[in-house]
Amino acid sequence: MPTLLDLQHAIYRAIVAGDERDTAIHVVADGIEPAARLSVYRNTFLASLTAALRLSYPAAHRLIGEAFFEGAAQIFVAERPPRSAYLDEYGAGFPEFLTRFPPAAAVPYLPDVARLEWAVNQALHAPDVEPLDVTQLAELSPEDAACLCFVPHPSVGLLRADYPVDAIWRAVLDRDDRALSAIDLAAGPAWLMVERADTAVEVKRMREPEWRFMAELCAGGPLQAVLDSNRDLDAPPLLANHLAAGRFIAVKSADSTVAPQAMEPSP
Amino acid sequence: MAAVSSQPAAAIRGCGPIPARAGIGLRFQHHRAVVESRPAVAWLEVHTENYMGGGTPLRYLDQIRRDYPISLHGVGLSLGSADGLDLAHLERIRTVAERIEPGLVSEHLSWSMAAGTYLADLLPLPLTEEALDVVCRNIDQTQTRLQRRILVENPSSYLQFAHSTIPEWQFLAAVAARTGCGLLCDVNNIFVSAHNHGWDASAYLDALPPAAIDEIHLAGHTLRQLAGGRLLRIDDHGSRVEPAVWMLYRRALARFGAVPTLIEWDNNVPPLEVLIEEAAHAATLFEGAAKESASADAA
Repeated sequence: MPTLLDLQHAIYRAIVAGDERDTAIHVVADGIEPAARLSVYRNTFLASLTAALRLSYPAAHRLIGEAFFEGAAQIFVAERPPRSAYLDEYGAGFPEFLTRFPPAAAVPYLPDVARLEWAVNQALHAPDVEPLDVTQLAELSPEDAACLCFVPHPSVGLLRADYPVDAIWRAVLDRDDRALSAIDLAAGPAWLMVERADTAVEVKRMREPEWRFMAELCAGGPLQAVLDSNRDLDAPPLLANHLAAGRFIAVKSADSTVAPQAMEPSP
Repeated sequence: MAAVSSQPAAAIRGCGPIPARAGIGLRFQHHRAVVESRPAVAWLEVHTENYMGGGTPLRYLDQIRRDYPISLHGVGLSLGSADGLDLAHLERIRTVAERIEPGLVSEHLSWSMAAGTYLADLLPLPLTEEALDVVCRNIDQTQTRLQRRILVENPSSYLQFAHSTIPEWQFLAAVAARTGCGLLCDVNNIFVSAHNHGWDASAYLDALPPAAIDEIHLAGHTLRQLAGGRLLRIDDHGSRVEPAVWMLYRRALARFGAVPTLIEWDNNVPPLEVLIEEAAHAATLFEGAAKESASADAA
């Protein structure tokens, strides 16, 4: 008789890898092969996680079609099954997986579209957090202000893509073939910011220098260092704009927290 | 006592205890319809996992809970895991429960996590003394962390383990007795599992402890033919409740009395009106059972 732990780990192998050797002997046949009984659970595992990926990556799904998408999803699911039951967080690695999925090579911008979709998904499900109260900044000395680091709102994502994926993504989801065929794939990289504003997720095109400034702030660079590496920019209005839009939730100094991150969900 | 009545929705008390009437499972597709039309349904149940992030879903639920008692029904805590609970997941449940203040919190007699991996289904347990210890330990931990009693639902299953020694109904009764948890009696699941394993569904129902039953679930299921011609009933929550399951529900009402009853529908989700119709049918049976029990008392 197997221990519960051994049995569950064996069933895990049967479901994820289709290897039911250690499990079938413990299953009552009763007119149906144990392997067929186990396959009901394996099918649900594959089907529900494929459905989760389909929900998170609707444009990638349309770009390669159901058959290819399902094929890709089933390999991905078996390679990188979810680590928790909170499935909104599942599928972060799918864009990178698509770069290694040979049938997708015909659509060179597919992984970048998928990366944008993951950023959109993150923005959609990010926790509700109150934005930074900017009056806290007024109380700081110039020395403290110089070494401030900003904590971005969890819904804010910055993305650089080799292709104009924002235009591709919109055209694909709108099923707008005319817009799709008008896109110049050689137009150069797209510098994008994704965020949840009120109830909808917005994808904004930025100029490269402004994107770099925001990316360095979001990466937690100290304010003075970020300002120094972006001398060509008129940074104060940009920063004021980001603060007013609620894109930061807290500030920290390099070693200690000046204003604790607001963890309470908004009412 | 009708589940679907002509009284204004405003008379329904929000975010309080779950009334002993018929409710419906609330899915994303119906968020807007419920907010806008405020249907006269007695209570709503949501999947806890759908409200663990921020943004739109939680905003809708914040609004809806003002008008309706809400029950949180989890599908991912994996009470049967020998690895122990995923404490981060328990914490997410606690956060949702603190925010929504649900009338009931429920999970399943099953497992979904092993080796740090979520298997995206409600997997059956071998029904042994060892599994009973594991389940009770995990329920104790959950009830302690949430600081409340939870309900545990009987699952649908498609296989049994050769080394099981305890019938499922006895296992559930033992879990309730040892942990003080309540039971969520899913009548459709009893019907499905009884068919799949050759159990007597009525005997299963009769063996459950009435005092522990705090909620009933009803849903549709489907038939799947496996190689060799054998039919399995699959609990897919994708259709109306079957007549045979309604029959079994009448037996459940006669045995358990007035218990909050939920219509679940998760796949091929129909318009809200269809769910309300199903809830109204449950309410009709509910009233019939109440009358029968009243006349039995009089006699």
